[in-house]
Order: sequence, then structure tokens, then C-alpha cells
Amino acid sequence: MGDVILTMKGIDKSFPGVHALDHVDLEIRKGEVLALMGENGAGKSTLMKVLTGIYTKDSGTITYEGKEVEFHNTREAQDAGIVIVHQELNMLSHLTVAQNIFIGREPKKGFGIDDKKMVEESRKLFQRLNIDIDPTETMGNLTVGKQQMCEIAKAISHQAKVIIFDEPSAALTESEIEELFKIIRDLRDQQLGIVYISHRMDEIKVITDRVTVMRDGTYVGTLITKECTKEDIINMMVGRVIYEDPKTESTVPKGAPVVLKVENLNAGKMVQNVSFELRKGEILGFSGLMGAGRTETARALFGADPKESGDIYINGQKVIINNPQDAVKHGIGYLSEDRKRYGIVVQKTVAENTTMADLDEFTNGIFINKKKENEVAQKYVESLATKTPSVDQLVVNLSGGNQQKVVIAKWLTRNCDILIFDEPTRGIDVGAKNEIYKLMNRLAAEGKAIIMISSEMTEILRMSDRIVIMCEGKITGELDISEATQENIMNLATREIG
Amino acid sequence: MENFKNSPIVKKIGFNRILLALVLILMYVVFAIISPSFLNYSRILSALNYVYFLGFLSLGVTFVIATGGIDFSIGPVMFCCALIAGFSLNSYGVPMPLSILISILVGFVFGCFNGYMVAYWSVPPFIISMASMYIAKGAASVFTRMQSVSWPQATAEGGWYRSLVKVGNFPVGLVIFLAFAVICAVILNKTKIGRYILSLGSNKEAVRLSGVNVKKWEMIAYVICGTLVGIAAIFFVAAYTTVQPGYGDQYNNEAIAGCVMGGTSMAGGLASISGTVIGVLIIALLQEGILALGIDKNYQLIITGIIVIVAVYFDVMGRRRKN
Amino acid sequence: MSNQTAVSQVKGKSTLDKLGGQKFIVLIVIVALILLFSVMSPNFRRYTTFISILDYSYYIALMAIGVTFPLITGGVDLSIGTGLICYSLVGGYLVSLHHMPVWVGIIVTIVFGMAVGVLNGALVAVADMPPFLVTLCTCMMTRGLGSIIVGGFGISWPTLAQPGGWFRNIFKVKVGTMNVPIGIIWIILLVIVMAYVLNHTRVGRYTIAIGSNKEATRLSGVNVKFYHIIAYVICGGFAGLAAIAYSAVFSTVQPGSGAGFELEAIGGAIIGGVSASGGVGTVTGSLLGVFVICLLKTGLPFIGLQANWQQIITGLVLIGAVMVDIIKKKRERN
Repeated sequence: MGDVILTMKGIDKSFPGVHALDHVDLEIRKGEVLALMGENGAGKSTLMKVLTGIYTKDSGTITYEGKEVEFHNTREAQDAGIVIVHQELNMLSHLTVAQNIFIGREPKKGFGIDDKKMVEESRKLFQRLNIDIDPTETMGNLTVGKQQMCEIAKAISHQAKVIIFDEPSAALTESEIEELFKIIRDLRDQQLGIVYISHRMDEIKVITDRVTVMRDGTYVGTLITKECTKEDIINMMVGRVIYEDPKTESTVPKGAPVVLKVENLNAGKMVQNVSFELRKGEILGFSGLMGAGRTETARALFGADPKESGDIYINGQKVIINNPQDAVKHGIGYLSEDRKRYGIVVQKTVAENTTMADLDEFTNGIFINKKKENEVAQKYVESLATKTPSVDQLVVNLSGGNQQKVVIAKWLTRNCDILIFDEPTRGIDVGAKNEIYKLMNRLAAEGKAIIMISSEMTEILRMSDRIVIMCEGKITGELDISEATQENIMNLATREIG
Repeated sequence: MENFKNSPIVKKIGFNRILLALVLILMYVVFAIISPSFLNYSRILSALNYVYFLGFLSLGVTFVIATGGIDFSIGPVMFCCALIAGFSLNSYGVPMPLSILISILVGFVFGCFNGYMVAYWSVPPFIISMASMYIAKGAASVFTRMQSVSWPQATAEGGWYRSLVKVGNFPVGLVIFLAFAVICAVILNKTKIGRYILSLGSNKEAVRLSGVNVKKWEMIAYVICGTLVGIAAIFFVAAYTTVQPGYGDQYNNEAIAGCVMGGTSMAGGLASISGTVIGVLIIALLQEGILALGIDKNYQLIITGIIVIVAVYFDVMGRRRKN
Repeated sequence: MSNQTAVSQVKGKSTLDKLGGQKFIVLIVIVALILLFSVMSPNFRRYTTFISILDYSYYIALMAIGVTFPLITGGVDLSIGTGLICYSLVGGYLVSLHHMPVWVGIIVTIVFGMAVGVLNGALVAVADMPPFLVTLCTCMMTRGLGSIIVGGFGISWPTLAQPGGWFRNIFKVKVGTMNVPIGIIWIILLVIVMAYVLNHTRVGRYTIAIGSNKEATRLSGVNVKFYHIIAYVICGGFAGLAAIAYSAVFSTVQPGSGAGFELEAIGGAIIGGVSASGGVGTVTGSLLGVFVICLLKTGLPFIGLQANWQQIITGLVLIGAVMVDIIKKKRERN
């Protein structure tokens, strides 16, 4: 194990309303792979963004190669030799591989660019990485895995000394992951410091030397990978006290009818043979780590994205859902995790958004009955306790929690019996969160069936009657609330497949 | 000023529209001072001739721009409507009412075509406009064998259509145009069609996920536009009698200018019919004023261009501030 | 571990892509059109027809080379048609009425074009305004400006016999009794140069990068605003060159004309494979696309169709070209 190349000490970072990093420490050593682990929202990405100059820290020090440093943008970090390989690829699909690697710093030759040199340099990089990619191939023609390799090549072409991999394996196939690991080991042997962020427990065991665990924006501890078990890591990740009372048993009445049955739903890599049932009055939690395929399942079910196969039964009747129109017709409402993009029309009023899904009910053939519209919107503003000066207010002016209530009102107006809440409290402050929870419980008690996708363990344990856990596009388990614990959920969510 | 801006009545009408109306009045006063002929009723009537057809074009394109799209085939399509209907009237003896119907129908067909390609095939509106422009010009000159077409004079048989523009000295056209503007405003603000058009212009994906058939409503915006272009053609010939194949491009710019000037956002989702009406009035007044003052009409092109750039600049800046 | 097999590196190229994709189809269309017209009309086979097709194509080809750049950034320039006339009027005005040397006129013409390019580029790249609307406005403005500067009259650049008439030889030289269309050599040379610029210089590289993913390009440390403007300046400069070609071929330049020229150039570029959504396009493709349009325009009358069928057919060809692109993309997604 090599010398320490980089130390972060007492890093603190706040965003309005969120204390994202609370005096976090981190130590990266030469010739070592360090795993950075933690639940969604534990602060891993924020910490890495501070390190690479995307965010500026509020306090704390970064010591790099013996000197205290501060990066103001990614360029400065790159020049110093600290690079990050992002999960989302920043590529220019119309340019070639070599052109992508050298974008913004092309070698000159007379008036033009020395493409030959770029291709040669790229070839050398790939040789160093021991991978076989033609630098003259157009980026868009490569598989995602190969594109990721190109990102790595681009990263090390900056004379990198520290490389951060942010969930690099999320989109890769098994064989591509093996290739990636080979590269990472090579880089490690070349005495680089490597940070590896991943949710996959099996990968952590295979590739990393030490594990640093974060939780709720704080540093929890560091373990030597060889000397710890999966359970040790999970305990460190989840070992928080749950303040709100978790549900102890299902509140669904015995013999409640199944309102939705999904059988063998398939849609790409993220949704594989998904089957589940949903009962009247039930809140079915969908748990799993980021990229487990929960949102994709919901979107395929709702007809927002095309699906390859699968049967959907509503109240025992087989239905065909090819687009959101079909889904809404059958009484399914979808509340997206990204409200501003998929949930509301921000430049329209509360009333207009409320009736969006059910406008036919508010027209007498031609004209919109503005009075009725306002009445209904007002009714929901009152019953959901939406804070808005009036129903004529533009939704853009409301807070996140109140925007969410408008989306709920939209589906209630349509009389949807099945509601899919995708991360219902994301971006909503604590007080409003409780209100949304109460509302969901009330809706379930009134006989609505609710699917709740959530990445927050506390939310899952507090709200669900039953929990479906997904991992890598597959359902890996189903737990009744009475038998669910943080540990066994996390176990299923990080299950080693195969 | 802030008080004025926030008073309920101003809020209801919209500050920008009041400003625009003031610009219109100011322009008129300036023209009237420089050239007293502007106080003559006949001068106003002649300026109004320009308002009618341009107004219908502008109303139509407002719907398309509200979806976030664009249609700059409207000028040539208008000429195509007038040429095909007029040629049918003159050479095939089609009766006047039917000719008017043909004109509207041709516009409707172009609207359907544009809308279908944009909504269902995701062809960029700008490309489909180009293609339609070619097709409209080509179809018109093929149909009329490249001759210009003169619609009947008021006294000739079937000349009654001219009373759509004016009867004696009474500007019937203005009444009809304003009536249509009111109808358009009602459609845009009070009906399902308008609600969906504006909403999808603002956030198409959210509307789609609400279970709305967004393709259908997007297409309808183009169909409305096409139909209004067909009507515009009638008002063009009723005022100016003759249409020549191969022309009409300049009216695109003016119609779009009127619409954008009136506060309809190029980004979609935000449209104002009353703004469009004032915008059109300003452009027509500018055109008439420059004619009356004996200034080279080319100045009008430059001035309009600058006005539109400024209008769009404020639109862009306003949106940037909001984000 | 599940038995996933390694995915091959390349998704697989169709035979068509190997041959140059859309360019290849366009080339076949050109050959087919020439064959069709030649077989059906003996007049078409004449040398003079060949010359006149070329004469008509020079200025459109030059505009198309230029407009390829803004199109690849994902924008457009509608001002090149009326701009061409405006620049030519101003240059010709200086030469014929103020007796300046022809080379001064030529330089003024080109510089004027580039200046309008700077304006367009700045409004699009810096002020963040929609390219379509910006250039529509500059289209109106150049149309008005040209007329105003020259006072509303047509302008004749010097004829071959007059002093300074040498510039007309740039595009067509009379050797004995035969006209030699040397303009085509210039066009081909410029295509080679601009293809080099597009593919092997920073200007071209960043033009494609901006059209492909502007934000990623910016994050790579590229001064995107500058290069975005440059794309429009190139376009304006080529509109200036097109103005020279136009002045050399036609005897007079009329103020108020020029609207619609841009559509032939843009249409040609799109038929030649420039993607309307940016990121994709070649200079040679644009040139080939222009030849399709010019062939239709000059060729159709020879087989008994009125010239105006050309417009309808051009419109349909344009939609066809875009549909090929859209359908191809749809297939790729599945």
C-alpha cells in the first residue's frame, strides 16, 4: 500500500436547506482502489464534486501531494491530475473517438489539427489501457461500454494521478465490467490513486482495497476490504436511528381485491421479467438503489416508454397500455420524480394544471367551464391544504411540496384509482414531507392503490404495507412490512446476481 | 410606475400590451403631424386593407408559434389559395361562394400536411415550412399555368365578395377581422384546443404524461393556421385584386413579426391574440406611413427587422431571468 | 454470472454507410436525372445546356457551402439570399457609379457579407436568440438596405468589354468560340478547402461539436460563443462570394430580388445529408444536393414539364431527404 496522495479533511458544504457534507474526511493513497459507499443521498457525489472543483467547499482543507490546494473549476483539477469519469457520458456522438479524447486541446499543425498525432496518441492510451478501440471510429457507433473506456482514456490522457469512477459499471455488461476491472488494476499498479463509487457489493469486494462509508453527509468510517464482510458495510451504511415510527404491520384489510397485476414486464435492460400485484388500499413500496430499474418499470407500466412484453391486469381484466392515454383511461396516474419536467406545466395556473388530465369533464363540447374548473381546483386546494394565494396562481411560483400537491390534485380530479408516486418527497422540505405522507395514507385509506418508489429507507419503512425490492432491473425480493428491516432490504437491493 | 404596473386593470390587460398600444398611438400621432393626410379617412381605409390579410396570417401563425413551432410557408400558401381559387373562378366558371370555399380548403389542406408532418413524423417545422413553400409556389403556378389571376371587380359578376372588405366607406373587413380575432382569443383561452396548444408549447412531455394525445393537438394548431391562411387569401384579393404566382414570401416575415411583437413567445406556451392584433396594426401603419411620407419602402423592412429583434431579445432575456 | 456475450465494438455499418451514406444516394440521383433528361430530350445533351446549368449553380453552390456551417451547429441562416443581392448591389454600386476598381468592389462585397455574418452570429451565440428568427430579420434588413444604398435601381457590374470586366472571366472564359466553365474549378477548389476546414481545423471541429452537444463542448473548455459566431461569419463570407458569382454570371442585379435563393441553398445542403438537428453534414454532400436542385430547375422544362414543377418536386425531394434521416434514426433507436 502506497503513500497518501490526497487528503480531504473536515469538508463542509451546505445548500439552501440541506447540510450536504458535515465535516467529512477522506484519504486517497497511491496504488490503491478506495471504495466510497453510502446510500443514495449520503453525499458521495457532492464530496467528489467538491474535490474536482465543480462545487466550492464551505470549509475544510484538501491536501494534494503535500500541498494545500483549492480548485475552482474542473479544468484546474484536471490540470493538477485529478479527473472524474462520470456516470453520464459527456460525449460528442458525431465526432470520432480520438476527436472526443482531445476536444478543446487539439494538437496544432499549420492551420489545421494534427489528426494523425491525435490518433497515435489515442492508440498509445488504449495500448496503455490494454483495450482494443479504433480511435478513428465515430463515438456514436460504439457500445456504451466502449464509450466508457474512451472516457477513461480521456481521463488518463490528462496525466492523471487520481481518478474517480462514479458508478462506472451501471450501464456495462458483465464482460465489459471485467475489462473495466482489468484497466483499473493496471492503473492501480501504475501507482495512481483511484476512488471507486458503486452500489454493487460484489464489485466492492473484487476490486477495492479499502472502503470508506458515508451516511447522511457524514464520514462513518473506513474498513480494509479484505477484513470486512458485506454485513459490516451495510451496518455502517444504514446504522441510523429512524426517527419517525416505522409501520409495524400492514393496514390493508384482509381480502382486499387485487386492482393491478403486472406479469413479466420487460423493457430493455432495466426492466426484466417484473411481476407484482397491488391491492386496493395498499401502499406498495418499491425499494432499491439508484439505477435498479424502478422508475423504468413505472414508466413502462404507464406507457410512457415502449415495453417489449408483459401483461397488465386491472381489476382482473387484461388491458393494453401502449401510451399514457391508455394508462390514464384505465385509471392509472403517474407522479414523476422530476415534477418540473414531467409533472406540471409550470407556466400554467394551479387550476389549469389540476384539470390537465381530465379536461373533457370541464368542457361543454367546446368551451371550458372556467367556473367549474376553479371550483374543483379550489376544492383540492382546500382538501390537500395546498398553499397558494389563489387557483389562478402560476405553478412556477409554488414551493416543491405544493407543486406535488397540484400533481396529486390532477390525478384525483381524473379519479385515478392507481397512483404511482415516484420519489414523492424529493426536493420537498421536512414539514411538507409529513403532509405528503399523511395525504398518501389518507388516499390509501379511501381505497386508492398506491405504488411508491422511494430511495429513502425511512420513507419506505414508514409508508409501505409491502415492499418490493429491485436490483439491476429485476425484482430480488418482496417483504411484508412486518418482516422488513433496513438490513434485509439493503441486502436484497445489493444482491449479487448470478 | 410600479404602482401602475401592479394595478389590477393593468395586470389584466398586460403591461406590455398597453405599452404596445401606446407605441401604436404615438406612431399614428407622429405620422399625422408629419403628414396631415393621415387624418383623412381614406388613408386609414387604405392602411386597413393591409391589416386584414396580414391579420389573418398573423392570427394563424400565432397558434403555431404557441406550440413552439414555426410556419413560414404562410405567405406563399396564401398566394397559392388565392391563385387556385381565382383561377377556378375565372377559367372554370366556379361560382364565387364555392371559390371562397376552395381557397379556405387549400389552406386547410396545407395546414393538415404541415401539422401531420411536424406532429406525427417529428419533421422539424422549419424544414416542412421550406418544403411547403416550394410546393405552394409550384402548385399555384402549375395550376394557373404561370399566369397571374385577377379576381372580379366590385361591379362585375360575383363582385359581392368585395363587400367583405368594405361597403361604401364602412370597413366591414375590420369588423370581420376583429370578430375572428375575438374567436381566436376565445379558442386560445377558453377552449380545450387552446388549453392543450398552449400547454404542450410550454411542456409537451408533461402534457403527454397527463394522458393527452399531444400529437393530435399539435397538428390542430397547424390546421387552424392553414385555414386562417385560406381566409387571408380572400381578404388579400378583395383588397388588391391581383395575385401573381411565385410571390408571397415577404408576408411571412411581416405576419411572424406582428405575432412576435405582440408578445407571443418563440419558445412556445405563451401567446396573446390581442398582442398580435396590435402588432399587425403597427406593421400596417408603418407600411402606410412610409408610403405616405414618400420614404423608400425599404426602410420599413429594416425597421420591422429591428423591432422584431428587440422584441425577441426581451423575450429571451425575460425567460433567462425567470430561470 | 449470467451468460451475457460480449457486444461487438461497432454496432455494424450498413453497406450504404460505407459508400458515403446519403451522398451516395444523391450521386445516383444526379446520374439518374442526367440520364433521364438526356434520353428524353436531345436539347438537354447540348453543351450550352451544360454551361447554363453550371452558370445557375455557382451562386447557389457557394451559398450552400457556407450555410452548411450554421446548419451543422443546429442553426440556420435565412439571410443569405437577400444578403447576396444586397452585397452585390453595394459592391457593384461602388464599381459602376463611383468608378472604384473591381477588386475593391469584390472585397467590399465579401467583407459586407462577413459583417452580416458577425451580426447574425452574435445575436445567436451571445444574445441566445433563435437563429431562425434572427436571420429572418437580417433577411428583411439586407433586402431593404441594398435598395436604399443604391437608390432603388438595378446595378450592372462591368461587362466583359468594359474596363474591369476581367472578373467575368473568373467563372467563364471564352476560348475561341467555346465557353469554358472554369467556375466549376473554383467551386471544387473551395469545396476541398472548406471540407478541410470542416474536418481538420478547430473551426470545423468545434462547429460539429457545438451541433452535437453544445454544453459538453463548453465544458471541455472550448470558447463556444466565438466558434459559434465564426460559423455564421463563414456563411456570410460565402454569401459574399456567391454575390460575386451572381454578378459575374448575370448582367444586372435587381434590388428586392434574392428571396428564395437561400431556400435552394439550404434545401441542397439538407438533400446532401446535413442534419436539420445539427452535428452532421459534409461540404461535398451540400454541393451534390445543390446539383440535384439545379438539375431539376433546368432539366424539367426539357422534358416538357413547366419550370414550376421543379418547385413541387424540390419540395417533395426535400421532405424525402429528411424522412430518410428520420426513419433511419427511428430504426437505430429500436
